[in-house]
Amino acid sequence: MTATATPPATLFDDPVLPAHRRILNSFRGPVGSISATLVVTLLVGLVWVGPSFFSPSNIQIVGVSVAIPLIVGVMASFALLAGVVDLSIGSMVGFGAVIFNQLVAAGLDPWLVALITVVVGVVVGLTNAFVIVRFGAEPLAVTLGMLTLLRGLSQVIVVSAPPSTLIEPLYNVTQGAIAGFPTLLLIGIGVTLIAAGIVSKTRVGRKVQAVGGDDRAASRAGISVPKVRVIALVVSSVGAAIGGILYVGQLGSASNVLGTGLEFQIYAALMIGGYSITRGGVGNPIGALLGLLVVAGITNILNVTFTDPNYLDLITALILLAAVLVDRFRGGDSFE
Amino acid sequence: MTHFTRGRLARFGLVGVAAAGLLLTGCSTVGSTSDAGSTGAADDGTFTVGFAVGGQPDADWQDLQGDVAEGLAKQRGWDFVELSNDNSEATATKNADIFIQKGVDVVMMFNGQPSANPVIAKKYEAAGIPVVTFDIAQPGWYFVGVDNAAAGTDGGTRLGELAKEKWDCKVDLVISAEGTAAGQINTWRTGNARDAVKETCPDIPEGNYVSYEADGNLTTSLANAPGIFAAHPDAKNILVVGLNDQAVVGALQAATQLGRDGSIMGWGQDGGLITGPNVDPNLVGSVMYFLEGYPAGAFEIADEIAAGNAPAVKDTGDDAAVSVQPCAVTADEAAEIPSIDQRVSELADAPKGTTEYDLYCKS
Repeated sequence: MTATATPPATLFDDPVLPAHRRILNSFRGPVGSISATLVVTLLVGLVWVGPSFFSPSNIQIVGVSVAIPLIVGVMASFALLAGVVDLSIGSMVGFGAVIFNQLVAAGLDPWLVALITVVVGVVVGLTNAFVIVRFGAEPLAVTLGMLTLLRGLSQVIVVSAPPSTLIEPLYNVTQGAIAGFPTLLLIGIGVTLIAAGIVSKTRVGRKVQAVGGDDRAASRAGISVPKVRVIALVVSSVGAAIGGILYVGQLGSASNVLGTGLEFQIYAALMIGGYSITRGGVGNPIGALLGLLVVAGITNILNVTFTDPNYLDLITALILLAAVLVDRFRGGDSFE
Repeated sequence: MTHFTRGRLARFGLVGVAAAGLLLTGCSTVGSTSDAGSTGAADDGTFTVGFAVGGQPDADWQDLQGDVAEGLAKQRGWDFVELSNDNSEATATKNADIFIQKGVDVVMMFNGQPSANPVIAKKYEAAGIPVVTFDIAQPGWYFVGVDNAAAGTDGGTRLGELAKEKWDCKVDLVISAEGTAAGQINTWRTGNARDAVKETCPDIPEGNYVSYEADGNLTTSLANAPGIFAAHPDAKNILVVGLNDQAVVGALQAATQLGRDGSIMGWGQDGGLITGPNVDPNLVGSVMYFLEGYPAGAFEIADEIAAGNAPAVKDTGDDAAVSVQPCAVTADEAAEIPSIDQRVSELADAPKGTTEYDLYCKS
């Protein structure tokens, strides 16, 4: 690397602070406020539902429902961080699931089919990236088009009742538990921690943040903005393809409407967790985990008390608005 | 450049090891089955019905099924809990876990996205909870549904008779608004109706029968039907049959929009759009299933389960646990039938074992 291509040290280096200051600082950010929201949610659950809110079976229900959106969301968050929102993730989850389900039902080896599905995710991500990065097209418009295209393809492929493909090992991973803790959620948390480490502790993560925060400044600092965005969009699509495979494991099939609206569910949780869909460079995968847990916790409270589920959208919207307001009061553009 | 101190490296390594550990722990369970889903059941001894409504858009009868079931459970002094499958297989699967956790004694449901039913069935089987399913059969679950084959034949026969009476069977076009995703049910409803028209009016040329995909909903039907009319510009006397009322009405509305509704008659299935204030004038009849009343049949089964005499499972359309009687009515006859809300209210107050066929069709 030449001297001119080396980014300024100040862009990537944190000043070393004492431990107590770092803890306090972390609670000033979005992760702090969403942590507080999660604690409140858990307390409400404990009071309203009772101790059974923390029973192994209930933790299993919440964990199973949140794990796949978590994995998909964490992978998609790289695109958000790089300043290119990927609206096609819900349809990619559905399309990936349909491909995986249909090919496994046709008798192909599930591992081979999983590889094919991931490759399809790569191709979709590259296609999005090609149009967005090469031609400078608006990410919202391009990925909205991809959303529609993939949903249409799913409907073309699944024209009647889809085949059932219960793959026992995959079912056991997606529905199983270890010592009362959902296996898939453990995997999701593992993915989140790795992503959080990449984002906050590595040069790669900071490059992604820099590109999303100010692409011109990042470019001047020697970062290849197109390369970062291409990789981020591919990671996003591959995450969605993996989500589709996991859904087939969990549900034993894939209809042509699987994943419909999932992108809104995931992005609402990511925004609650501190991300922005219009402003790159902000957010942390830990926030994504907490945001999804808050929404899943509220959903579960309404479910197990058999409350009208229509209230869920209302509550999620209110939390989202509150998160946006808190972000603005905090000075949301300070990174830039 | 980043300068890693020894402490930062150690923390970074620790996080990496923890994350990798979690991943490996998760992956190491491949091949083992969890029992966590079956723990934590909360059964207080009262017979409890878990009811999952379909949650499909534009289908009020699905919510009303829940209302009818709640009324019938109240009549019996049973506990009743309801969730919506939200037209999503993931939600339907999660709901199964919640019902199992709740410790319900029987589950009743209409699942409009039945692709996850094998997984859901596996969960209920493991928990020992019997399931009653409406309209879409699943091995191991009590099936409550209409006799689709008879319903198709009844509707087609009545429409054929009207064509004979009004047009002396001089029919230029017989349109089938198919819903192929429904598989055998579509064959019974749409196919049998078409066959019954052929039988009643045998001189209609084979080339006058055409089909298109309506997917069982009005929007798709309305979008796809114009192609059929465009391909047969000279057809005047037109008949329409289909998977359900929405499919048939989609074709009728397309005809109206194109000015081709001078001489067209449609006969629906399910009765969803034949009552109320806005019935399409060309929908001359339908076969009413009284969909909102299906829980009445399901409660016949639940009564026996509650009494400790669970009946043998009958889980196919050919051999249903409770076969709902189809009721073919003309638009004029349907106008005499109370609104869906009133029917729900009257059924909830009717003596045990009463069905809507008993209340509105026998006479």
